[in-house]
Amino acid sequence: MSVADTIELSELEQDALTEVVNIGVSRAALALRKMVGEHVLLSVPSVEVLSRQRAATLLVQQGGDELVAIKQSFTGAFSGGAMLIFPQSRSLELVRAVTGPEMSHEEIVEIEQEALTETGNVILNSCLATMANMLKQPLTMSIPHIIKGDGSDLLTQVGEEGDVGLVLFLYITFTVRERDLRGYIAMMMNMSSLLALKQLLGAFIDETMGEEL
Amino acid sequence: MNLQSSPRTGGANGEPMRELEDRLSLSLKAAGAVGSWSWDIPGRLLHLDARLARFQGIEPAEAATGLPVARFFTAIHAEDAPRIKVAVGGMLRGAEVFFKSYRMLAPDGSMRWVEAHGRCLFDEHDRPERFTGVLVDITARQRIEERLRIAQTAGGVGTFEFVPGLGTASVSEQFCRLLGLEPAPVIAVAAVNAVLAAGERPLLEGRPLRVLQDAEYRIVRPDTGEQRWIARRGEVLPDSEGSGARQIGVIFDITDLKRTQHELNELNRNLETRVEQEIQSRQQIEERLRQSQKMEAIGQLTGGIAHDFNNLLTVIIGNVDMARRRLGGGGDERVERALANALKSSERAAALTQRLLAFSRRQPLEPTSVNVGRLVGGMFDLLNRSLGEQIEIKTWFDPDLWSVEVDTNQLESAILNLAVNARDAMGWQGLVTIRAENRTVVDAGEGEDLGNGDYVVLSVADTGQGMPADVIGRAFEPFFTTKEVGKGTGLGLSMVFGFVRQSGGDVRITSAPGQGTTVELLLPRSGAPAMESGNAEAQGAARLARSATVLIVEDDADVRTFAAEGLREMGLNVVEAGSGEEALALLDRPEPAIDLLLTDVVMPGMTGRDLVDVARQRRPDLPVLYMSGYPGEVMAENGRLGPGVVLLSKPFTMQALAARVSEMLEWAGPG
Repeated sequence: MSVADTIELSELEQDALTEVVNIGVSRAALALRKMVGEHVLLSVPSVEVLSRQRAATLLVQQGGDELVAIKQSFTGAFSGGAMLIFPQSRSLELVRAVTGPEMSHEEIVEIEQEALTETGNVILNSCLATMANMLKQPLTMSIPHIIKGDGSDLLTQVGEEGDVGLVLFLYITFTVRERDLRGYIAMMMNMSSLLALKQLLGAFIDETMGEEL
Repeated sequence: MNLQSSPRTGGANGEPMRELEDRLSLSLKAAGAVGSWSWDIPGRLLHLDARLARFQGIEPAEAATGLPVARFFTAIHAEDAPRIKVAVGGMLRGAEVFFKSYRMLAPDGSMRWVEAHGRCLFDEHDRPERFTGVLVDITARQRIEERLRIAQTAGGVGTFEFVPGLGTASVSEQFCRLLGLEPAPVIAVAAVNAVLAAGERPLLEGRPLRVLQDAEYRIVRPDTGEQRWIARRGEVLPDSEGSGARQIGVIFDITDLKRTQHELNELNRNLETRVEQEIQSRQQIEERLRQSQKMEAIGQLTGGIAHDFNNLLTVIIGNVDMARRRLGGGGDERVERALANALKSSERAAALTQRLLAFSRRQPLEPTSVNVGRLVGGMFDLLNRSLGEQIEIKTWFDPDLWSVEVDTNQLESAILNLAVNARDAMGWQGLVTIRAENRTVVDAGEGEDLGNGDYVVLSVADTGQGMPADVIGRAFEPFFTTKEVGKGTGLGLSMVFGFVRQSGGDVRITSAPGQGTTVELLLPRSGAPAMESGNAEAQGAARLARSATVLIVEDDADVRTFAAEGLREMGLNVVEAGSGEEALALLDRPEPAIDLLLTDVVMPGMTGRDLVDVARQRRPDLPVLYMSGYPGEVMAENGRLGPGVVLLSKPFTMQALAARVSEMLEWAGPG
């Protein structure tokens, strides 16, 4: 069977992962708020742990074949790759939401790549940094780059993450200027990284449960 | 959402504050909210509004002053508490949005489903400061959703909601399962339409529609590759968000239905075909029956006429014959020529009635076991002469040909008849093929004139002009001819037909205009091996004599007198009877002893056959000679007469009568 069956996250662990990522994206939202000067709200309602194949199928199913992703790799206590994924048709909308209504279409097209890269970088960095902080161990992150293609194009590009079998698949809602944009965060990790993540989540659960409120 | 309620501060502005709170409480109530909370994170205090406090069984006054934050969890269902604790843990550590549904237990013990919408507010250093939110009672909604989910699962119904122009649709899990897709709440329209089989219209249509029409789709499931049928039903509703019309509908699998429908259609189609075939076969049977009844009627009519006509001819021929013999050689030559002409014409008339009888299947047959191939071989010279030099004759006979039981003379005549017809159809040049082969009939249908069994098929095929169907239909009728006036009597095929049917077989014609004609004679296989056809011995003129006594029974006085006189002339004793009853009385007398019974067959009162039956009871060895133009009456099955019974066909000449009588008496007269 696939790796998905050998390392599983319990429901509570999945809830905990959702919260950890929520903490991360909330930090990102605060950062974006300062950049944009507008109220930006980011939230992750749920997480799914999927095999790479299923995640690719799901992406193809949900976004058709035109997706754009900002991808970053990370090494440290746990290693892998993280991606912020949007339908390509929404990427200009995202850029406009971030930049504001004053810019012309041409200007937006011109800065699209740069704006996407920066936005993705803020969001992914915050998520990963939150995890690193909780582990109290450093993570080294690569420079973000943009990939376009369909779901399997994005997920089958094996990078430095190595023997990736599982994908942590999170829906993300991005609210700027009263507009909702939906996208995904995909985190690909190897086995040892997943074990490390599982430990982190266990610690988080213990902490929140035993909290002297 | 900034719905936090401020902690009560009291003091001078207490009244407006209370007013504000009441208004907030009212609007929350109107919004279906159970209540609101505000969690002071650095101060570690939880404030609940009066409604939420009551809901949790806490004194509103106590809740307003601030509670230990752990009280947030007191009313939460034990099974949901851990994940809510994890979620709150996230909020206290910097998460901004709180959106959870869970169960709460009211003081009266009842369970409510609630949905919590919360937010975290941060201080100027981005540290979490206040966690506020409202609780909405969703118990009723939950129940409805539960029912809907069960209905969908049980009914195998998947739902979708879609606004044309958008790339994705909201769908249910069941929707994805029905199409063989990964379950997901949101799915790309392109991915949904990609499961459709080639050539299908889109399931989710990108253009705005006024109505969502019922539709059926063939799909190929991407997970299994299986082909299924899906039905779509739904409605188009105006979109509340104003972005056009919203398509809301369901899909369900109708593969089994389609399959059953298909099988049913197939069955119906087969049924229609079967009924059609059955009707056709019935019509054919009826047609054959009608034809066979017609032939039977014509046969009876012909036979009846031939019978009476034969009686007349017998008398004419007998008397002319007698007149000639009385005249001897010394008469007037002209008278003698006239008598000879009369006799010749009478004999031609007799031959004609013979053929009519042949058709009406009332001729006496003398069947013997015969090999058809050898019989045709023996006729070769005759056939060549009859057909002329321009016609080639080819024959082929199955080397293991079965023998058949037929009257050889009649069969020869039938073959000659067919050959001559072939010649005429070809205008004296072409090819005639005569074949004989074995055939076992196993599927003789209802209404067929032929039973199952073994047959020898003798066929005569020509390369002539052929016949249309309507001509084939009438070909066996007597006097029906396509030949020019004077070229044929129209009796040839009728005779062949009568003979073959009387022999237990059948005749079949295959022909079409321009395609030549093939006539097949099916003759029943004989149990006995074929006899070498010996030539019938020439029978010398009868020379009768001495004191044998013949009883003549004949209702027609003229015929009786003619026969009696002829026999007396031969020196026999003759006793005459006008009826069967009279004859029996004569038979019972001791003197004179009757040596031969010569009787007509068709008589008023007791028939010849009845008479013979009674007479044979008294005298089993009594030789019987029937004289009849209507022999069907005396023949046993298959045209055979019993032992010691001979038939003399009317009309007959004196010589023929004498020959038969002397044969039967086994007695030769003086030389």
